[in-house]
Amino acid sequence: MHWCLTPVTPEFEESFAEDLEDYVAECADHLSAAREILLDQETSSNPTQISKDQLDGLFRNFHTIKGLSGMVGARVVEEISHRLESYLGIVRKDSSLLTMVGVDVLINGLGVVESAIAAFRDGRPEPNVAALVQRITALSSSLPTGRNTAESPRVADVPMARKAKFTAALGRGDRLCIVTFSPAPDVAARGVDVNVVRSRLQAVGEILHAEPKSVAGGLQFLFVLAVNPAADFTGWPADNIRVEPYSPAAELAEVSDPGQTALPLTSVNLVRVDLARLDDIMRSLGEMVLTRARLENSLGRAAQFLPPGERRDLEETVQGLDRQLRDLREGVMRVRLVPIRDLFSRMRLVVRDLTRETGKDIDLVVSGEETEIDKFVVERLADPLLHLVRNAVSHGLESAADRVAAGKPPRGRLALRAAAVGGTIVLEVEDDGRGVQFEAVFARARSAGLIAVDATTDPMAVLDLICAPGFSTRDEVDRGSGRGVGLDVARRAIEQGLAGSLTLDSRQGAGTRFTARLPLTLIVADVLTVSVGGQTYAVPQTVVREVIPVEAGSTIVLENNELIRHHGGVLPLLRLDDLFHHPRPVGSYVALVVGDGTSAMALAVDRAVGMREVVVRPLTDLLVQAPGIGGATELGDGRPVLILDPAGLARYNRRRVAGSPVRAGGLS
Amino acid sequence: MTTTAAESYILFELAGTAYAIASRDVQRMEMVEHVTPVPNAPAFVEGVVFSRGKVVPAINLRRRFGFQATAFDLRTRLIVVAHADRSVGLIVDSAREFVSIPADAIQPPPETLAGTSGRYLKGVATADDRVILVLDIGGVIDAPET
Repeated sequence: MHWCLTPVTPEFEESFAEDLEDYVAECADHLSAAREILLDQETSSNPTQISKDQLDGLFRNFHTIKGLSGMVGARVVEEISHRLESYLGIVRKDSSLLTMVGVDVLINGLGVVESAIAAFRDGRPEPNVAALVQRITALSSSLPTGRNTAESPRVADVPMARKAKFTAALGRGDRLCIVTFSPAPDVAARGVDVNVVRSRLQAVGEILHAEPKSVAGGLQFLFVLAVNPAADFTGWPADNIRVEPYSPAAELAEVSDPGQTALPLTSVNLVRVDLARLDDIMRSLGEMVLTRARLENSLGRAAQFLPPGERRDLEETVQGLDRQLRDLREGVMRVRLVPIRDLFSRMRLVVRDLTRETGKDIDLVVSGEETEIDKFVVERLADPLLHLVRNAVSHGLESAADRVAAGKPPRGRLALRAAAVGGTIVLEVEDDGRGVQFEAVFARARSAGLIAVDATTDPMAVLDLICAPGFSTRDEVDRGSGRGVGLDVARRAIEQGLAGSLTLDSRQGAGTRFTARLPLTLIVADVLTVSVGGQTYAVPQTVVREVIPVEAGSTIVLENNELIRHHGGVLPLLRLDDLFHHPRPVGSYVALVVGDGTSAMALAVDRAVGMREVVVRPLTDLLVQAPGIGGATELGDGRPVLILDPAGLARYNRRRVAGSPVRAGGLS
Repeated sequence: MTTTAAESYILFELAGTAYAIASRDVQRMEMVEHVTPVPNAPAFVEGVVFSRGKVVPAINLRRRFGFQATAFDLRTRLIVVAHADRSVGLIVDSAREFVSIPADAIQPPPETLAGTSGRYLKGVATADDRVILVLDIGGVIDAPET
């Protein structure tokens, strides 16, 4: 019995999971594009004046989200985006119809769509959309063509979920038509009901889609039918069964809007790449770098036997290879970089909401949006940045009255800046608020015994203090001294999660600036976490071929080795409990199969815990350069977790057991 | 009061004895949280900790000096020192005082001083009627030869 690391799931589930990921990613792109347009719009001097391009862009964003949602069955998302799209459809015909309320509803809608997508992805209950729907309805019905557009039967509502069937029918050269059947008393009296219609249609062609629709005056059934193009099918008008030709090609395409001018394309040259694939490339590159080093070594040894001309040629070739590898590495790194713009847009939204919550007027100044940063880093930066922004608005910036009293302009100013400085990304969140009350912080720290009476009072120490456990619990003091909860979380995420640093500058009465410095790229690895003697360790997933359960007493002792049976052969078993001086587990345990061919072995651990993507940090200090320990990481709780290096463990074990027999297996 | 320059030291306590480390060698002082043991590291290495986002080794100074190790409590502190491009944490019983010790108040350690901490001493100071052992950081955080 063994199981592989790749979860074995039914094919459809796997493909659904993949589709779902694609769906979420694609929607995220459209959401962020829409968010950008709307926020620009809201903060512009004339929010209701919108350019045709921007309207087209918004329309397309919601249209695409609607289509994608239909395909994966995210009904609520589909519904809301449809309503927003309909509203935009009207405004597109006459952009003067856009109102402030409209912009607000669109922004509101954007947030709801986003959370509905997240809920759909996570399988959580759908968010309540009733209020939003009501707002959109009220908005649309106030427009001249509102009702009409929103309710006319739309082809786009029909086919997305049946894309494959449609494509197949079109591929066969079938003619598609929409058949509508409107039940009526007289028709029913003749025995024609929806089942009769269905069988009639089935006799004529293939029903690709059917749905009941409620229309003014009652219910209507709508069918999409594929018929032979040669057939002369006109329906049965006498029985209220009517036929319209239908061309779904446009609807099936990504972006469609027949009858409108071509919309500007945004993504024609973009390729979506899974980060894991880039990691694979990076790994291969790492191996190439090692190979190059070996080549150089061999060359060094062989150099004395080579004629000088030959040697120079070879040396130049190796140098060229070195340069090319470095270029290649940089190229791959660049692929991982994305502009920080999207993250900043999110913060604009946050500030917008906070403005309403707190009643403080805030000018948000954003710069360096084009700064590029590793995708992995960006994803993990959202949370800490949110905490910093919240902290600045809630605790840094004063109320308008306090500001005026302090001789400041009534509107608070919050700056978000990003810049690349060397190999580092510098992010700043700066407010012009009251600043940190250093003395209050220190006085409290002294009274709590956290610092010595004459301790230095530099800003770094303040940051330590306000993030110190036991300090952050006294909320009223914290608020008074200009900080809020969440700072410790932000700092931990930046320092431990992203191997960066967070610093604080503050002038009392003049404002506070938090500066986060982050590495441009990180060494990121997928690891398997395991438990050995109550400790958690991480093992790079790339080296683990299999995880197998081992029954107590099932091992074979052969001279100085303990072996386990595996796939008809045997593997040497290395017990981490022994290597690390922990007691052996009671009962069955788990072994990780690592290495290839003759270097293959099984590492016995107490149990496998899970898989994680982690940031790898080297362990450089001599004091902790222990055998078989390759580095350290963190799993989100601030506790360092050691990363094992199985090859190093094997070497250590060989030295260790040389001469001394191992304990017999299964005694524990 | 003194004729020579005084330097600032952080005082800490270990097994009832007062020790001093030069403030300039100290990066920060923290409560001890989450020390992850490193298997097969020297016995006096308690493990690694995260300090300001860096993974640093933590030395149990009681073990380093050959005292009986005790459980950590609320007074236990991690003093992170920086020396020769390294950052190393020292776990001590308690630490909360700064003192200024004039250079001429520090005597070389008597060669006859008993106890293992003698190897890691820079000198002995007398201040405010107290005898304080001044540590040689380089010696304390040095890795043993293997």
